[in-house]
Amino acid sequence: MTAPTRPAFLSRIRFRDAGTLLGLVLIGVVFSALTPVFLTTPNLMNILQQSAINACIALGMTLVIISGGIDLSVGPVAALSAVLGAAMMVAGVPAPLSVMVALAVGMACGLFNGVLITWGGLQPFIVTLGGLSLFRAFALIYTGGTPIFGIPDGFRAFTNGTVLGVPNPVVIVIVLALAAWIILNRTPLGEYMMAVGGNEEAARISGVPVRLTKLAAYMISGLMASVAAMILIGRLGAAEPTLGTLWELDAIAAAAIGGASLMGGRGSIMGTLIGCVILGALRNGLTLMNVQAFYQLLATGIIIIVAMLIDRATSGKQGG
Amino acid sequence: MTPRLVLSQIDKSFGPLQVLHGVTLTVGAGEVHGLLGENGAGKSTLLNILSGVFRADAGRVEIDGQARTITSPRDASDAGIAMIHQELQQVPELTVAQNMFLGASLRHLGGLFVDRAAQEAEARRLLAPLDPLIDVTAPIRTLRVAQRQIVEIAKALRARARIIAMDEPTSSLTPKEFDRLVEVIRGLQAQGVSVIYVSHKMDEVYRVCQSATILRDGRLIGRVELPQTPVATVIERMVGRELAHGVHHGFARERVVLEARGLTRGRAVVDASLSLREGEVLCIAGLVGSGRTELLRLIAGVDAADAGEVLVDGKVIAGGDPRRRIRAGLGLLPEERKRDGIIRHRPVTTNIALPAMRRFSRFGIIRRAALTARSEELMRDVQLRPLDVARPIGSFSGGNQQKAIIGRWLAADTRIFLFDEPTRGIDVGAKAEIYALIERLAKEGRSILVVSSELPEVIRLADRVLVMREGRIAAELGPGEITEENIARHAIPAA
Repeated sequence: MTAPTRPAFLSRIRFRDAGTLLGLVLIGVVFSALTPVFLTTPNLMNILQQSAINACIALGMTLVIISGGIDLSVGPVAALSAVLGAAMMVAGVPAPLSVMVALAVGMACGLFNGVLITWGGLQPFIVTLGGLSLFRAFALIYTGGTPIFGIPDGFRAFTNGTVLGVPNPVVIVIVLALAAWIILNRTPLGEYMMAVGGNEEAARISGVPVRLTKLAAYMISGLMASVAAMILIGRLGAAEPTLGTLWELDAIAAAAIGGASLMGGRGSIMGTLIGCVILGALRNGLTLMNVQAFYQLLATGIIIIVAMLIDRATSGKQGG
Repeated sequence: MTPRLVLSQIDKSFGPLQVLHGVTLTVGAGEVHGLLGENGAGKSTLLNILSGVFRADAGRVEIDGQARTITSPRDASDAGIAMIHQELQQVPELTVAQNMFLGASLRHLGGLFVDRAAQEAEARRLLAPLDPLIDVTAPIRTLRVAQRQIVEIAKALRARARIIAMDEPTSSLTPKEFDRLVEVIRGLQAQGVSVIYVSHKMDEVYRVCQSATILRDGRLIGRVELPQTPVATVIERMVGRELAHGVHHGFARERVVLEARGLTRGRAVVDASLSLREGEVLCIAGLVGSGRTELLRLIAGVDAADAGEVLVDGKVIAGGDPRRRIRAGLGLLPEERKRDGIIRHRPVTTNIALPAMRRFSRFGIIRRAALTARSEELMRDVQLRPLDVARPIGSFSGGNQQKAIIGRWLAADTRIFLFDEPTRGIDVGAKAEIYALIERLAKEGRSILVVSSELPEVIRLADRVLVMREGRIAAELGPGEITEENIARHAIPAA
């Protein structure tokens, strides 16, 4: 019984990821034909590297969306942990310790969101919208609005380094994606996230720890946001309190392109990663072709809406 | 004379489950026609087809001798059909007049603005013969249910309905309000309006209707002329012989496993106490809204109690958290499986594993192979069809979803099963299987609490029956006392 049936369900999931991948290939083919530089190893690495920060955010966002929520505060969370981490490093605190504190700050922001949403009973959209302003304000007040310069070279060298020719940020994303995939597909927490997002009341009646599950999702999202912040300040050598503006939208877009349902209960780590690369490749390709930034925005919007229309058309019968 | 309405040979399926098999219904002009059948007989589906909510797979609709295609609520309204749902579909914050003209507002000043004054005047005119005391400018939420029902009837008349279907209109009316409703219905009849009247209550049906159509398990059993046909005959045709005479088996032992003491939540459940023995099937009967589901949810820890306690094996279970109750051995099987029972996109395996996820994990990782093997074992045992535990649970029929949820609690070693309407929305074949499963659970020494509105089901399953009325446990019926008459006598509030 097992042998013929189990793959049937798995292939249903893979089917969606294959669709996302097909979209990426299509974009790749188009840009390769339009500009010779696109399909070269340095440029492809460049795309991956440019997508890494969004990928970090989007991985956390995917878990939040699957568990039936949304996290609009990721950009400011990144900014807050960036300025605090940078300030510590500049003050001479060892980089590993500074990074740990910065990551803890991100998780604390997630805890703040999560507690208000679960025990406070508030709507995720509103709570994280509040967080969006609140955490940004903290970052601006703390820095007085000016960037923090002088990130130590050692830390910069780490984020700009490579492993076997692959940029370290990309390696970090691969490790994080693997971890997120295991959480989602192989641990009780992942099943709980899908259950809570799929049907919260049924999950509660079945004994799922609904509040802890949601809390975990928001804390992971906060953590991922601060990882993204660390990558960014390492690469720039400075931490701006205004960094991360509109990151939440890119992350939500990547997750949605990758098949996450904003109604909760469904989403894919693989899909989200491919979604990030699609957005990255699109921007990279258009830049190579010297297309104005305005049109890049236009193309991003079109990609998101087309992806959703295709999604609706292929799985429309399951709606309602 | 041509009948007002003829529905003929209506078929309807939801996925694999056929819920209507060639059903025919005829209603004369100015006739009040009963639509009778147990829960799940297909009454609501038929009404939903008539009112354009569902599309029939096959069949014809004729109104005043003319064939009609009804594919949307709009079509139904154009054909002169109005439906008054059990749960009134009104906007609480809007006024009586606004509700009556919802989607059909009267306009003035070139159609740009709603003409409130005209709407209110028209609403007042329509309501005058029905209930002149209703203030058309009051928000709907300030009205009593009986008045809101009258407003719905007035709205139907506003839309010039010639056929008004009422789904369980008296489920929350007092006897006096019922009398008033009967007068209103007589008034409709006098105007030549036909009424389709759905109710479980035989005395009402005999008082209001001239004739009735009986459905059972989605099939037409027959049409009866009412004063002439004895109640016993109608009930027998409704429930069918095999269920009414289903043989009850008892396996109750001595030891008490579950006790509830003085459970109270608002006015829904007041000071309810009960005890349940090992291997016992205890049914909770009563009218819809008498507090049965609420009591079950208090016991399961899904809702928090204002007062009272729950004991398992003589020990108080602290806290109102479902997880603690599950650990103590309780498991709730909700009535609305789609809404409260299943994670529909997830496979059967996940749905089974949710309460016992730790058992299926090692070092924080789920052992998929072990989970699949255990799920298959359980599902083979309860005869899940098709036996494919990797399929999303939402793609199974209601009966098979219920089997999977029974499997969920078996996997968690649950000893006390709390069933809320265990066979709601389940076809007759699967019903018998669910009954057999419940009896098997009891035989194995598990204890079972069943909330049920279907009296034959109660008689078939129960070792003992508690009858609830207005939030309180009104009576306990032991062996030999469990009859439809006894249950009904205690369930219905005194006038």
